[in-house]
Amino acid sequence: MELLITTLALGLISFIVPQKNIRLFGLIASLIPAGISIAYLMAYEAGSTVQLFDPGKVYQFGLTLEMSYDAIGLIMIVLTSLSIPIILLSNYNMESSRSKLFNALVFLMQFGMLGVFVASDGILFYVFWEFTLIPIFLILYWFGKRNNKVLLKFFLYTLVGSLAMLLSLIALGSKSLSFGYADLLNVQLTTNMAYWIMGGFLLAFAIKIPLAPFHTWQAETYANSSMAGTMLLSALMLKMALFGILKWMIPLAPEGLENFKWLVIVLGVGSVVYGGIICIKQNDIKKIFAYASVSHLGLITAGLFLFNENVLKGAMIQIINHSIVSIGLFLVAEILISRMNTHNIKEMGGVAKLAPKFGFWFTLILLVSISVPFTAGFIGEFILIKELSELHLYSGLLSATTLVFGAVYMLRTFQISMHSAPKTTHFEDLKWNELAVFIILMIFSIIFGLFPSIITNFMDASVTQLLNTFNELPIVK
Amino acid sequence: MEAIVVIFITGLLAMFIGIMNKPNLVIITSLLGLALTLVVQNCPVHFLPEKYQLLSFGGYANSFASLAVIFTSAIIFGGYNYLKQEKSHTGDYAALLLFSLSGAFCLIGAEDFFMFFLGVEILSIPLYVLAGSKKKSELSSEAAIKYFFTGALATCLLLFGIALIYGGTNTFNFHAIKDLINAPGTNMSYVFVGMLFVMSALLFKVGAFPFHFWVADVYNGSPTVFMTYMASVVKLVGVFAFLKLFQTAFGEIHFFWSGILAVVIFVSMFIGNLSALNQRKFKRLMAFSSITNGAYALVALLNRDIASEVNLWVFMLGYGSSVIAMLTLSLTLNQEEDVETTSFKGIGYKYPFVGVVSIIALLSISGIPPLTGFFGKTMLFASAFNDYLLLVIFALINSAIGVYFYLKFIMLIMSKEPAEGVEVHITLNQYIVLGFCALAITFGWCMIFFI
Repeated sequence: MELLITTLALGLISFIVPQKNIRLFGLIASLIPAGISIAYLMAYEAGSTVQLFDPGKVYQFGLTLEMSYDAIGLIMIVLTSLSIPIILLSNYNMESSRSKLFNALVFLMQFGMLGVFVASDGILFYVFWEFTLIPIFLILYWFGKRNNKVLLKFFLYTLVGSLAMLLSLIALGSKSLSFGYADLLNVQLTTNMAYWIMGGFLLAFAIKIPLAPFHTWQAETYANSSMAGTMLLSALMLKMALFGILKWMIPLAPEGLENFKWLVIVLGVGSVVYGGIICIKQNDIKKIFAYASVSHLGLITAGLFLFNENVLKGAMIQIINHSIVSIGLFLVAEILISRMNTHNIKEMGGVAKLAPKFGFWFTLILLVSISVPFTAGFIGEFILIKELSELHLYSGLLSATTLVFGAVYMLRTFQISMHSAPKTTHFEDLKWNELAVFIILMIFSIIFGLFPSIITNFMDASVTQLLNTFNELPIVK
Repeated sequence: MEAIVVIFITGLLAMFIGIMNKPNLVIITSLLGLALTLVVQNCPVHFLPEKYQLLSFGGYANSFASLAVIFTSAIIFGGYNYLKQEKSHTGDYAALLLFSLSGAFCLIGAEDFFMFFLGVEILSIPLYVLAGSKKKSELSSEAAIKYFFTGALATCLLLFGIALIYGGTNTFNFHAIKDLINAPGTNMSYVFVGMLFVMSALLFKVGAFPFHFWVADVYNGSPTVFMTYMASVVKLVGVFAFLKLFQTAFGEIHFFWSGILAVVIFVSMFIGNLSALNQRKFKRLMAFSSITNGAYALVALLNRDIASEVNLWVFMLGYGSSVIAMLTLSLTLNQEEDVETTSFKGIGYKYPFVGVVSIIALLSISGIPPLTGFFGKTMLFASAFNDYLLLVIFALINSAIGVYFYLKFIMLIMSKEPAEGVEVHITLNQYIVLGFCALAITFGWCMIFFI
């Protein structure tokens, strides 16, 4: 609870901090929630569910306002709280970091996301889920390229998905005593009903993630938004959807999973291939990374629906890895774009010679993103692809193309932008804050690459518990 | 019961003080009177009996009446700058608003068709005058004439319906009608037909399909202050009276009217939203949005639970506050009455207070959490979910359509390039009203924890 209150308070305090100190204030203040979340991590007992808030009664309309987290939720909380300082740090030299509004919105955004991860009440979950949309929309609108059409599309897409989810939640709530998580779990559904409910959730999550046919908002939105906006969207906001699948969609409508998973796996594997192919022909650097994100997240989503112990752990590692990669890649993109004044990689070139430090760190991030061994990506993708191959040969084969495509488009991007004929004579090398971000990201990536058991052991008990509750759920065939 | 007396006396006082050409005195009197009304209405000690055969403020009627008083105070206080423009008429305006409010009280408390009809008339007649109060404006005159004629038609329908129901049941009392329905000796065909007529009249008052044609023109033509009253208080009272009448008197023949009402809601939502999509006149936009929101509010009738009154209350709190906030904002612009949406361009960025209030208000109308509008809407839709699944789905689709134009409007307001020649002058009273509305929108939904 302290965490939520702190972030909300920081969001409000940001408005009254003097203009010239706001940048430093934002960066340092963001360490407070990070510290609190690490304290949560230290105090956590394996397998337990920590109740953050429980008024113990059902209010009008079935609201319970319960908040709690288990190991999976806690990992997401820590991921969010640690990512925010890194994002603020990488944004440190941008104009937006000097704005009170920007810092306030980032904290409000963090408040919303943390709320999503701790909510144990259907309506509360939805409230936080939608709430995040407001700050991100304003960040994109005020600190991006102000392309109204693209923004409208982004907002409407995500909103339509959310409304479908609201319908699913209402449907579940109408059959249960309250919107509390425990009550919702015990709802018995017919298989047909479960399909509709899963469909509602899927629409929300597929748009947010995004999976292939619902991805059309993404590339344009990324290309038109500022670096911080893109990082927030890609490194953190999309994770809300993956978390939603894990905690809400599958456990709440387990009756439909058996058949429904094929739909999602087809969409997910389709996204892997589709995103990869698009990337190869794409020239806008932000769009390349956007489609790369479609490709990587397609794999995670497809894996999640197998819903067994291995994939849950693999997906979790991959979620963390994707956050690291996307912060790194979008920082790379911003460095290239702002110093070359173009989005087009064909108009970049020869950067490696002018800025060797940048070249080095770009290479490392690139290696993480194409999942070479000893980085976190390798473990995650390996587990996911293995499990998908065990399900069906083709799903395994197609999802494994991510490794090939990833290597092709990332190396192509790197080669064209860094090594082709020089297009500029001056390229400023890394600033201290950019260097710091790269170093922090690489440390995390290599730690998790060498010792993924840190994560898997931590969430072991909670995953077993989740699967146990799942298996004991009343299922009407 | 004392409340009606207090409002009426305040109205009379306001009218006579108006002769002194002192607008601020009039406004102070009216506000004090309204505050007294609020106290008297909610005070546990009563001088006059609380229940009459024709009138009773039991159940949730009290909460709705209080909300109507609060809205009216906000409108009079926020509209002071407009009301004082013609000094000799300030008293008349305030008095007419207060008389109309006393009608609203009669309507809310009505237990009998007699009082119900009186309430509808007392509520409407001052509004016919107020709609046309800008005598030099053609639009205003048009609004008044249109409102009066169509309103007169609605009155005829209502009277005819009441007469038919009386013919069928031999009584005016709601509870008696409820008991007599399906009893031997009741002519049910009279009741059915009469109910349809009553329903038409009420749909007219609420501004729902197929009686919505007057809404856009009347709202657009009337002076903004009075339009705010129509869109917030009249809608609130109209829907509540609708709910009370149909749940008490016609609750037993739910099967007969609920289908019709579902169709009405369905069409109204689409008409309101689709007409608003490309609307550039601000007041027409709000008028169409009020058609849609009136339709959402009517969803409360479809649920036979007692909770539907709570849902409706929360919804109307959110909607009414948003409307008052937006229209008060439009009053602060240095524009003529005919405000275009483009006049708002960039003022949110230039004046952060305006920006915050308008974002909150518009997001709440479009149903984005965690604002009151979201909770009201969701509670209404959830209550109808089991019986009217399709309607709820279409209502959600309409929410999405609504977000499209509200969001476009927000983006216009928050744009970094301000419109030329538009200035905003917010006076203290408007700051108070806007701040109050913003608070009500943001935290109003917390009321559900205290019920």
